[in-house]
Amino acid sequence: MSIFITPAMVGQVVISGLLAGALYSMVALGLALIFGVMRVINIAHGTILMLGAYTTFWWFHLLGINPYLSLLASMPLMFLLGLLLQRTLVTRVVDAPELSSLLLTFGISIALVNLAQLTFTSDLRSVEFLTGAFLVGPIALSKSRLISFGFAVTITLLAFWFLQKTKLGKAIRATSQNSEVAMICGINVPRIRLYAFGIASALAGAGGSLVAVIFAIQPEMGQVYTFKSFLVIVLGGAGNYPGALLGGMLLGLVEQLSSLFLTTQLSEAVAYVLLVLVLLLRPTGLLGGRAR
Amino acid sequence: MRKALLAALVIGSILLALYPMVATGYSIRFMLQLFMWVALAQSWNLISGLTGYVSFGHVAFFGTGAYTAAILVTTHAWHWAPASLTGGIAGVVLALIIGYPCLRLKGPYFAIAMLGLNEVMRVLVSYFEGLTGGGLGISLPILYASVQIYYAMALAAIAVTVTAYLIISSRFGLRLMTIREDEIAAEAMGVDTARYKLYAFLLSAFIPGVVGGLYARDQGYIEPLSVFPLLTTVTMIVMALFGGKGTVWGPVLGAVLLFSFQELVWARFLYLHQILFGAIIVFVVLIMPRGILGVIQQRYHLSRSL
Repeated sequence: MSIFITPAMVGQVVISGLLAGALYSMVALGLALIFGVMRVINIAHGTILMLGAYTTFWWFHLLGINPYLSLLASMPLMFLLGLLLQRTLVTRVVDAPELSSLLLTFGISIALVNLAQLTFTSDLRSVEFLTGAFLVGPIALSKSRLISFGFAVTITLLAFWFLQKTKLGKAIRATSQNSEVAMICGINVPRIRLYAFGIASALAGAGGSLVAVIFAIQPEMGQVYTFKSFLVIVLGGAGNYPGALLGGMLLGLVEQLSSLFLTTQLSEAVAYVLLVLVLLLRPTGLLGGRAR
Repeated sequence: MRKALLAALVIGSILLALYPMVATGYSIRFMLQLFMWVALAQSWNLISGLTGYVSFGHVAFFGTGAYTAAILVTTHAWHWAPASLTGGIAGVVLALIIGYPCLRLKGPYFAIAMLGLNEVMRVLVSYFEGLTGGGLGISLPILYASVQIYYAMALAAIAVTVTAYLIISSRFGLRLMTIREDEIAAEAMGVDTARYKLYAFLLSAFIPGVVGGLYARDQGYIEPLSVFPLLTTVTMIVMALFGGKGTVWGPVLGAVLLFSFQELVWARFLYLHQILFGAIIVFVVLIMPRGILGVIQQRYHLSRSL
């Protein structure tokens, strides 16, 4: 625990917070997409992130190719997995009470995590690539985090461009505003749900690949990301896609700033207190959302 | 039908009460753990089965109760029975802190808050080393009390099942089930939904706390990983779903079937066993949402409180 807090230290944590926050934003955007289009909270979102992380680990371990290129494998693979899950399982509970979709995705998550335990073992794995940091004045920037930040921002911007400009993206936004009206306008809603789940899973997979280069990974890592992604959605306002960006940055900042005053061990507890406080004081999210 | 069930219950209870006199150590421990799972699955049923609000972190109350009781027993030399009851109260206090903000809202807020709670409690318990021993855990003084704890666990299982029966056959239960079926309609009919959800949640947190305390005494040693495992929550959920959520006897049936199966066959294959649990959840939600007992009730037109 530190007693003296210098401006350089504050600068350091603000930058670390933004670097971490971009990753949270990207992953949470996926969860927000699924929630927006189907009103389903996908408990298995973090599990898909974990599978993306293992894709990168094996890519690097077996092929020895630059781990960032594994995004080309993890994103399509998780996209396909998302399609499969939506097509075979999730689609059956979209219109059922919330309990069904929560329990269903929880069951999927438990099965996949343990399948990973069985096949990959529960050992901690890491991708040793780009260790070290750039020094800018008194501030140290971890190379892997900086590059991950760049990828996360690029992928998130692409996703937003897709949502704003393409026909499919507009159909997704229309469906999340009102699926019945969208259907009347001739949008094939089940198909949109399928794509939304696939794209969301690809975003989670990309998150996993970028996380794998920074931290050690293991099969149970996903649950924390499901929780944090949800917290980001709550911060930004449910159903509010730009809100997810703000929420992610904010979560990254709060976590890093709290590490100035508390130990990093407690950062998870800080995120939790933040969730309870927001639900207590401003349950519509900071930017205001819909569908409570 | 009702009389036959009552007679079976009385005979069953007498047999279970006399059981420790003839049984060996292993079979007593088997039954003791079975009672524990009945109590836990039934507790989960009180909030999630009745109101439809899914608790993904019920083990947090179990762990909190275990730590409360263990600390009282070791540093304050309490007897395990009042210590476990205090563990239950600790569970209720924690439920109040989480339930008040999260249950006022509709939607998945509660479920996700509970998903995170378990992790946070584990972090906190590991962090406050002075009180909890951190990662080293707490060793309780040696005591041979398996038979007494057998009775205490049985009492906990009976207490929570009787509570479920009383709730399901009362107006309070009807209000909870109205919330589950259609919360907006429930509000329109004048049900104070936030308040009743909170009551159900507080009730559902007490027994896991007590059972956690008894577990700590029975095991003689606890550490953060042993009393806050996600698997315990998963097991409660699977048992209640498989037997039939929202019924009195469903969680009991689920606990008996799955625990026996687990002890006899699956405990040796940890991960396969958990993959199976995940698959059972998916299967029950998609194919058999009422669980085994629900299917039987529907086919033979039995009353809901059975």
